[in-house]
Amino acid sequence: MPAAVSKLEENIPSLRRYARSLLRNVADADDLVQDCLVRALDRMDTLRTEGDLRPWLFTIMHNVFVNRWRRMTLSARFFSNRGDADVAVAPSQEDKLQFQDVLRALDTLPEEQREVLLLVAVEGFQYGEVARMLDVPIGTVMSRLSRGRDKMGHFMQGRERPMLRRVK
Amino acid sequence: MTTSDLPVSEYDLHAYVDGFLDPAQRLSMEGYLADHPQVGERVAGWQTINEALRDAAAWKAEAQVPAAFEVARAANRRSSQRWVPQRMAASILVALVIGAGSGWIAHGPRSVNGIASVASEASMAQRVFAADTLHPVEFGPDQQSQLVKWVSLRLGRPIAPPDLSRSGYRLLGGRIIATEHGAGCMFLYESGAGVRMTLFVRPMQGIDMNARMRPVQTADTSGFVWSHDGVGFGLVSNNPLGMLHEVANRVRGDMSSDT
Repeated sequence: MPAAVSKLEENIPSLRRYARSLLRNVADADDLVQDCLVRALDRMDTLRTEGDLRPWLFTIMHNVFVNRWRRMTLSARFFSNRGDADVAVAPSQEDKLQFQDVLRALDTLPEEQREVLLLVAVEGFQYGEVARMLDVPIGTVMSRLSRGRDKMGHFMQGRERPMLRRVK
Repeated sequence: MTTSDLPVSEYDLHAYVDGFLDPAQRLSMEGYLADHPQVGERVAGWQTINEALRDAAAWKAEAQVPAAFEVARAANRRSSQRWVPQRMAASILVALVIGAGSGWIAHGPRSVNGIASVASEASMAQRVFAADTLHPVEFGPDQQSQLVKWVSLRLGRPIAPPDLSRSGYRLLGGRIIATEHGAGCMFLYESGAGVRMTLFVRPMQGIDMNARMRPVQTADTSGFVWSHDGVGFGLVSNNPLGMLHEVANRVRGDMSSDT
């Protein structure tokens, strides 16, 4: 068990990275990670594979997110103006401004597209792995990826052009 | 792909961007993209997004790292989360045992809730349907995929009967059960010796969303109930309790690892 726990801890940074990009709100994201860890601990004894914990943990994370968090964040989002919240975080460096931009583009995606895009592009999971994690056919993963990438592309192009002109 | 004129699939484009193509495929893809600048532009956009996302996610992950962000904290939280419902459920269970003993109290105006109601519903399902030799289930073992679909639809979450062949039970099938707390589902198993056992599953309605496993006993049934992540489980048969404990543990393990 202690070995398993330390294995679990090794994965916290990537779980946190994923949750924070998915939810944007840092406190919510960290709570999501905590919930995921709680459930993972609960199921440690049911885990038979000695191999990589990551896919298993991300599957748990997805399910916690879907079952509990999605409903909560949807209602929270309905009542809060996230645009204001973003502005309140004053970007101190140019590169952070750049992050705000791509994260905002990510925000325009429906959650299922955002999940797929982050799991593939940031976490580096194979399409088949993502399909198993989300329990959807691989074709669904691919179409979410296409729609997500194209939508983000349009959004970022629309925003980048005036910014580039200003920089020049 | 030997020539760059062959059509490439959307899948190939993504696989190229995400680095899942082997060197030869990469090379021919690059040829194709050079010949099809519109596709090339789209793919280049995807690559930019990939890089930007990776950088942004890494930056977000590092910002404001909470001090006590560790497994130990999660373990603490787990035990504190359980404590209250456990005690609550224990007192409800006591009420149930008294209620079942004195008969009419259970049918009084105050209905049971939480894990105690799962216990009575599971016992009732076992009593009524497991004893039925003619038509105990609506979906037989050969209709398992339909059963899973239907049950998942009615209960609003993916639910499949665990394989208990290692414990000596085979699945006879299942049915939907009407309860005071909405639709529940009964999976019926039978041992080689003909002992029938009910696995009753129902979404919890806000009470006892995570309740520890505990034994339940009525005049003619015995078993175990627990809940996990808002789903209640009751494993009940007409056998003595002791024999079911191991099976119940196995069911709990299977049912919580599949989500």
